[in-house]
Amino acid sequence: MKTQTLPQTQNLKTFSLIGLILMTFFAFNLSYGQIATTPTKKITTNERTIKGVVSDETETLLGVNIVLEGTTTGTTTNEKGEFTFPKKLKTGDILLFSYLGYETQKVEIKDDTTFINLKLTIDSVTMIGALDSGKPYKSKRKD
Amino acid sequence: MHAQISDFTHANFKKADSIALANSDEDLYNLPLLAHKLTSNLDTEAEQFRAIYFWVCHNISNNYNLYLRNSYKRNRFKNDSIKLKIWNNDFKKKLFKKLLKNQTTICTGYAYLVKELASLANLECEIVQGYGRVSTTDIEKLDLPNHSWNAIKLNGKWYLCDPTWASGIPNPKTNNFKFQYNDGFFLAEPKLFAINHYPIEKKWWLFEENVPSFKDFLEAPILYGKAYENLKFHNFPKQMHKDTKLFENITFEFETKETLNKKDITFLIDNGSDSKQIEPNSVTIEDYNLKIEHQFLKKGFYDVHLYIKNNLISTYTYKVKN
Repeated sequence: MKTQTLPQTQNLKTFSLIGLILMTFFAFNLSYGQIATTPTKKITTNERTIKGVVSDETETLLGVNIVLEGTTTGTTTNEKGEFTFPKKLKTGDILLFSYLGYETQKVEIKDDTTFINLKLTIDSVTMIGALDSGKPYKSKRKD
Repeated sequence: MHAQISDFTHANFKKADSIALANSDEDLYNLPLLAHKLTSNLDTEAEQFRAIYFWVCHNISNNYNLYLRNSYKRNRFKNDSIKLKIWNNDFKKKLFKKLLKNQTTICTGYAYLVKELASLANLECEIVQGYGRVSTTDIEKLDLPNHSWNAIKLNGKWYLCDPTWASGIPNPKTNNFKFQYNDGFFLAEPKLFAINHYPIEKKWWLFEENVPSFKDFLEAPILYGKAYENLKFHNFPKQMHKDTKLFENITFEFETKETLNKKDITFLIDNGSDSKQIEPNSVTIEDYNLKIEHQFLKKGFYDVHLYIKNNLISTYTYKVKN
């Protein structure tokens, strides 16, 4: 939102301060603004650095693995749960967030993604375990 | 229609298995990277899954103490759902820490890891929760679900496997876990699997006709791990406990994975005071069909253990009357 309103106020200021000659410049700016309203084309080619923070229900998580899907490029979160992805990413890239005991989450980089605030949920399984045995069964006998 | 290993030829997995073995120094601190290392050089879904499954079975040990503590607490809190939930959440955190640091776990840990690695490799895999029935569990009354395994979708079809039981068995005397990979639990034949795996959700039987009731399941013969390496089907008897009369014919019918010789088949018969290894009275083998017939010549109560090539396959009991 901020990135959209700020240039407009600047444009208005510019308009009020400078004369007619610069109107053409304003018009140019306006048309530039119109191009910017369809940002998909522009930003998809723009690779950018993605940062973020990962936590669970209660606290930030240290050591969460973040990998660009289909590659070995990745990083892990620090003790504050923060990360900066080492490679610049583009729209459509998918990051995998993985932490043992938590459900793996996929996050797709959208046009406006620059910061990812992600909450991982603990895997909901009930922990059970029966052991197989090579021990022959033995009937319980009374006598 | 049957979804099992014979859909894939065994030779296909040599490359997957060697990739899994080559990565045996890897740990669990970076699962996406591990999944990538295991699968990126393999072309088919089946091979990719095989490498993941094989790695888990060879690198994660089964922890008997964790198992005991958990079943004790689960039994204690079985009528108190709140305490049970608190215990499970608390235990789960400890369990995942142990899995991460020591690569040791119980069934759900195996099934969880297989599922996570598979989904990181874009394979559709699920944890199946249910009942496992083995010779050392209280086989007559399984009141709480006690086992987890996996369902995996390969080329659009679901298959079953049990990484926990495939990884090894505890030493019967010391209870220390021993790695002993059993290939029979990989893409197992669903109807054989059903004899000692009862899923809570019906869809995981993977067959529709003659699905066992829970009573059928509790009454079934005891099946051991080696059955999965040697048998394709266990056709008869359907019950573990049988009554018979002196000199009456008792029958056993199986479909085996390979054609056997008559001398491969032995019984170990225990009458309570001593046990004897014998050859059954009659063994008929036609291709993969194995039929065994036997008669008891003395009254008594017998535990009958079937062995194929000296591997324990299954157990039945016979009460022999006049």
